[in-house]
Amino acid sequence: MRFKQLLKLVLINVSQNKVRSFLTTLGVIVGTATVFLVVAIGKGGEAQVSEQFSKLNVGSIMVMPAQRGKVVDPLTKKDAQLFTESDNIAHAFPVLRGNGDINYADFSLNGGFIAIPPEFQQSNNLTIQQGRALEDEDEKKKNKCAVLGAELANTLTDGNPSEIVGQSITINRRKFEVVGIYNRVGDTGSPFSYDDAAFIAYSVGEKYLLGTRANPTIMVEATGLETVQAAIDDITYILNETHRMGGAEQFRILDAGSRLAAAQESARTMSLLLLAVAVVVLIVSGIGIMNVMFVTVKERTGEIGILKAIGAKKREILGQFLAEAVVISLAGGVLGAVLGFLAVPLLKYLELPAVPSVGGIVLGLTFSVITGVFFGFYPAWKAAELSPIDALRYE
Amino acid sequence: MGENRLPVVDARDIVKVYQSGSEQLKVLDHVSIQVRRKDFIAILGPSGSGKSTLMHILGCLDLPTSGEYYLDGLDVLRLKENQLAEIRNKKLGFVFQKFNLLPRLTAIQNVVLPLLYRGIDEKEAMKLAEEKLSLLGLGERLNHKPNELSGGEQQRVAIARAIVGNPEVILADEPTGNLDSKSTKDVIGVFQELNKQGNTIVMITHDVEVARQANKIFYIRDGKIYDDGGLP
Ligand SMILES: Nc1ncnc2c1ncn2[C@@H]1O[C@H](COP(=O)(O)OP(=O)(O)O)[C@@H](O)[C@H]1O
Ligand SMILES: [Mg+2]
Repeated sequence: MRFKQLLKLVLINVSQNKVRSFLTTLGVIVGTATVFLVVAIGKGGEAQVSEQFSKLNVGSIMVMPAQRGKVVDPLTKKDAQLFTESDNIAHAFPVLRGNGDINYADFSLNGGFIAIPPEFQQSNNLTIQQGRALEDEDEKKKNKCAVLGAELANTLTDGNPSEIVGQSITINRRKFEVVGIYNRVGDTGSPFSYDDAAFIAYSVGEKYLLGTRANPTIMVEATGLETVQAAIDDITYILNETHRMGGAEQFRILDAGSRLAAAQESARTMSLLLLAVAVVVLIVSGIGIMNVMFVTVKERTGEIGILKAIGAKKREILGQFLAEAVVISLAGGVLGAVLGFLAVPLLKYLELPAVPSVGGIVLGLTFSVITGVFFGFYPAWKAAELSPIDALRYE
Repeated sequence: MGENRLPVVDARDIVKVYQSGSEQLKVLDHVSIQVRRKDFIAILGPSGSGKSTLMHILGCLDLPTSGEYYLDGLDVLRLKENQLAEIRNKKLGFVFQKFNLLPRLTAIQNVVLPLLYRGIDEKEAMKLAEEKLSLLGLGERLNHKPNELSGGEQQRVAIARAIVGNPEVILADEPTGNLDSKSTKDVIGVFQELNKQGNTIVMITHDVEVARQANKIFYIRDGKIYDDGGLP
């Protein structure tokens, strides 16, 4: 019998038992929807990670104390200068960070400040929206002036940032003149938000805000992606030389590439976990299919006898019942994909990033077909192996 | 004539023993039967005498415990299951007491099925199926399901299915067993007409009146077979 006619026969049988076919395939519906959503969530997570990292130069390396809190042997401005002597390193900036009360007019908030060498601004895309940037003069003369991140300026002025330029704010009760506002930079992938911070010259931060507690992070830029590893080696070497007591061991050296890899890895782990759930659902639903197919074969034993009497061969009986299982599970797969699609907005509402994709549909349908073939095979094989006379005499 | 009169069914010393528990039940005891082309034979016997068992063996649906069986010159007992399926499809046509139509298929879908298993193109197969159904007076019932047909109509659909592939032999197991007297007459008439057109028919029955409509009667009793003259 040709495939088209076999399929017709199968569809007649499946469609005349719609309720049973539907109930049989419920598990496949859920399983396929899960597979589809797993892929969507995986893709969503990936998209989120790469968006976070897209603004971050893959050549960037952060050097920071390995332990939080009190540090015996902190990094220094001098270390950063030594780093820049390496051929593999383009820039190295010491950066100080702190938290404190930031005050403007009657408004006060607890916010972050970042002390940077002025050159930091160019290599980190901090551009001016209003006023001026931090300048070498400010660093040299330790001018108590600040440039605000766009979001901070907005918050302090209650949505009217232009008024603040030229005014004074206080950070931890020390007075600073606001000389400019940066453009919004968004998520930079760095652990702190530039848009919410107040920026001051490095020397100013050292002198007025942190004093002896100054414990900088050094942000390094390798000359290129391929020199990242060499740069890390150089940094390690230098730290071992200059911090003889604890050596490079006491610092953490993080490069963007491996941070990206770690983030992607955890997104992938999440996907795999969900995929495992989906596979379990499909296995359970497959066992359901197998059960129903056994019942079907039993019920239709007489029919199988008739088919054999009029000349159906084993493989044709096998094909017919296998195709029934696959049609049922594939129908479940299609319904599952639709269900998955409908669930995507729901996930968005739950703030889970989910990106539906053709790949997810294909994978879901593939799984549903595999389920049908795998679990439909044994009952179909049993049907095919029935002896014609036993099948015919079965009551 | 000559070649035509070679037996198309040639079964010799067929023994069938059923093992039920420790007991052996010899249902067929050295049964030999020859059927020639264009014969219309009745096998008559009481219930439980082994008629169906014989027909299943002649129909290549079951194997004897011992004996020899040649169908259209083929040594059936040496064939594999797939080859037997092919023989059932091409050389045999079955009619059963309970009609044995597929309940979810329409009349024409039932009739066309053997041709589809033979690999004949669907369009052509449908044409042939319709022809046979019309021949049996069911031209108006092509798309009815079995449960929408009377017993006599269902049996005529089954006969159409049996003859659609031009088999060498039509095997009918109590074809009138589930029919009223009018439908019985109908069906017997159909068989006589088919036989007149050259079809070879083996009909099993426990009804003497029905058996008399055939050209030749074999009697079966306690697993032994006797021909016209030889009933003890
Ligand atoms: N599979 C089987 N196992 C055991 N006994 C069987 C089997 N099939 C048939 N029989 C027995 O064989 C005898 C003949 O059966 P059957 O050929 O159906 O008779 P008939 O068709 O003449 O009524 C009966 O006694 C029946 O019970
Ligand atoms: Mg019987």
